[in-house]
Amino acid sequence: MITYIARRVLSGVPTLWGVATVVFVMARLLPGDPARVIAGVLASPEDVERIRQQMGLDKPLWVQYGNFLGSLLRLNLGTSAHTNAPVIEEIGSRLPYTIELAVVALVLAVTIGVLAGVAAALRRNTMLDLLISSFSVFGVSMPVYWLGLMMIIVFAIYLHLLPAAGADEPTSIVMPAVTLALFSLGLIARMTRSSMLEVLGQDYVRTARAKGAPLRSVVFRHALRNALLPIMTVIGLQFGALLGGAVVTETVFAWPGVGRLLIDSIFFRDYPVVQGLVLMFGTTFVVVNLLVDLLYAYVDPRIHYT
Amino acid sequence: MSKRFLALLSVLLVLSACGGGTTGGTKQGDKLTIAIGPDPDTLDPMRQTTTTVQNIVSMVVETFVFVDPEGKYKPLLATSWQTAADGMSWTFTLRSGVKFSDGTPFTAAAAKANFDRILNPASTCPLCGAFRGVNSIDAVDDTHLKLNLKQPIASLLGLMTEVTFGFLSPNSIAKGTDNFKDQEKPVGTGSYLLTDRVKGDHVTLTRNDQYWGAKPSYKTQMFKIVPEAASREALVRSGQADVILLPPASDIPALQQDKTLKVILAPGDRTIFLAFNQSPKGNPLLQKAEVRRALNYAVNKELIVKSVLFGAASPMDAPMASSLFGYCKTGSYAYDVNKAKQMLAAAGASNLSIKFVAPTGRYIQDFQAAQAVANDLSAAGVKVDGPKTMDWPSYLGVINVAPADSTVDLHLLGWAPGFLDASQAMTQFQSSQWPKAGLATSYYKNPEVDSLLAKANSESDPAARQKDYCSASNLIWQDAPWLFLWVQRFPMVTTAKVTGVQAIPNESFYTVYASPA
Repeated sequence: MITYIARRVLSGVPTLWGVATVVFVMARLLPGDPARVIAGVLASPEDVERIRQQMGLDKPLWVQYGNFLGSLLRLNLGTSAHTNAPVIEEIGSRLPYTIELAVVALVLAVTIGVLAGVAAALRRNTMLDLLISSFSVFGVSMPVYWLGLMMIIVFAIYLHLLPAAGADEPTSIVMPAVTLALFSLGLIARMTRSSMLEVLGQDYVRTARAKGAPLRSVVFRHALRNALLPIMTVIGLQFGALLGGAVVTETVFAWPGVGRLLIDSIFFRDYPVVQGLVLMFGTTFVVVNLLVDLLYAYVDPRIHYT
Repeated sequence: MSKRFLALLSVLLVLSACGGGTTGGTKQGDKLTIAIGPDPDTLDPMRQTTTTVQNIVSMVVETFVFVDPEGKYKPLLATSWQTAADGMSWTFTLRSGVKFSDGTPFTAAAAKANFDRILNPASTCPLCGAFRGVNSIDAVDDTHLKLNLKQPIASLLGLMTEVTFGFLSPNSIAKGTDNFKDQEKPVGTGSYLLTDRVKGDHVTLTRNDQYWGAKPSYKTQMFKIVPEAASREALVRSGQADVILLPPASDIPALQQDKTLKVILAPGDRTIFLAFNQSPKGNPLLQKAEVRRALNYAVNKELIVKSVLFGAASPMDAPMASSLFGYCKTGSYAYDVNKAKQMLAAAGASNLSIKFVAPTGRYIQDFQAAQAVANDLSAAGVKVDGPKTMDWPSYLGVINVAPADSTVDLHLLGWAPGFLDASQAMTQFQSSQWPKAGLATSYYKNPEVDSLLAKANSESDPAARQKDYCSASNLIWQDAPWLFLWVQRFPMVTTAKVTGVQAIPNESFYTVYASPA
């Protein structure tokens, strides 16, 4: 097990190197002069040049690439060209908000999504199933921007129940988390339903029922546990994506997460921050995938990693 | 008239005077919430480049001179100033008894330390501009500071209104420290102190109870960062923000109908225009002033302002905004599509075809307006390729190029000087400011205009400057290097519960002395 984890972590290194290289090249393929954008339109050519030097953009590309990889090895992500603060500080000040939002949204999506999926599978082809399935489709296909604004209009402007935007009140998280959860929720419910339907038709479920096991234990112990693997994969991917920040949700609700930081940094051509964030997203996916794989072994004892 | 009646009258007068006193006095407020769009990149007066940041910082850090809501220069930390007869030096008399919020007295030496920091070759000061023409700084005594110049800078007083040249406590900018390079929490003499900041979420200012001037009403003012215009609108509609900047333009009419809100369409200084590419390598037809004038007649500015910008602009009547020193009205290209067609035909440009680009989301309804303009140009028989749009950095990459590398015929741009003086506005028409040296992206050249502007930028007699800028403006209006569009207004919305929110005609809001209604 330990060797397996070590091997997986090591195999993540070339993946992340690839990510680092791709983002380095892609950032520089974007049109526009970062130094001019940061200096503003009124700045003199000398000031633009000074900023270019501070950013190290006056050096040849391969030197920049070497410096970038060299600092990475020393776990140094560099300094934001736009705010002049260390990249790690920029990301660090935003990441707690993203994690908070991702965790709350995911807990909502998983609890409601799995329960709804199970209920829909058990009451297959009834009104309840139709209702849950339609709601899942609604959740998956609703544009976040529109849904977010509708919620703001109803809950902030008309009912005065929740803050319209920002992150400075305890209830601030409710609307962004619900908006964000709806998409994952729909996905998880649909996956649970189809996976459960497959399992519910199996012989061992019939046997469990025949031997008189209570329905709750049949559904949750025998069926759901066996149906869990594909659901877990979806949850893992969703969690990885949520940790990457939700640009639209964060923008509509003025939530200070990393998604907005990424967009701002791209618009300012702030290479160090863009690179740092994309690397962070890459690392998150590698780690979440590893965790999901390890959880497979826990849920399904037949799976062994050596 | 009986004595009793007189006595009664005097009692009544005293009573009414008292009544006036209580209603006229400002109420104390606890917290004013202002929703803004962009997250400040820096709060360092020297390093900042955006008006929103200037707005926040200028409540904490003060300058020698202040622009009031009427656009007039008023003494702030300097009580008076004098120019030498040859214009080669300026002496400022400092307000005495002023202290920075850390207790350090504001003296000429403190002011000099700030200017030295700005002019240090290692410092990043993107908006320093003409201030680099300062040769040396003398602290004559505690209350007199003398700036010696390399050549006369006629707009120096205007520069001194910019928060770029605001004063920080000398203790907070000690040479050799990180604070010398970059300020995270500026310490100034202003009526508010910077007390809290969460990046991406808010900046909070707290009233400076030691302030030397009139004390503001609100104990705190919080700037909430809300990038989405529709969300800012929701905040003010739900009463969760007291003031918002830049609501969605298309909602301005609806907001104006709402009795619980006030919409302010403040005059601004940003001219929005289409620059004709007049580089020698560009379309030869656009080299002809006749053609450029014709195209100016082809666009219905009034209608576009009304129906696309919802009133958030006024058509230009000069090459610069009327809020600037040096402005004079030069005329109008009243919409007349037939006249435009005739002029184009007469100039042999009936088959004119142009490539047109515009940014999205940089100025109020920019791309939408560009589409309307393209429609009007097509109606005048011009073949318009575009408008194409792209994000701002890419856009700058297309238009901010040396003349030989230019690829488009027409592009939309907004230009707003940092202070209310023609000098910076008119760089758009100086041939020395062609990219990459500057951003005069129409590549316009008229030697007569060049010499008039050079003269106006350095002469010290205001009347002569005004005359020269006016003559240059008239020449420019005739040459039509731009398709002159409009001067953008600065829309703000407040709830009816707040009063005293003002705007300064350089796209700034002024909430220092706002109070509960």
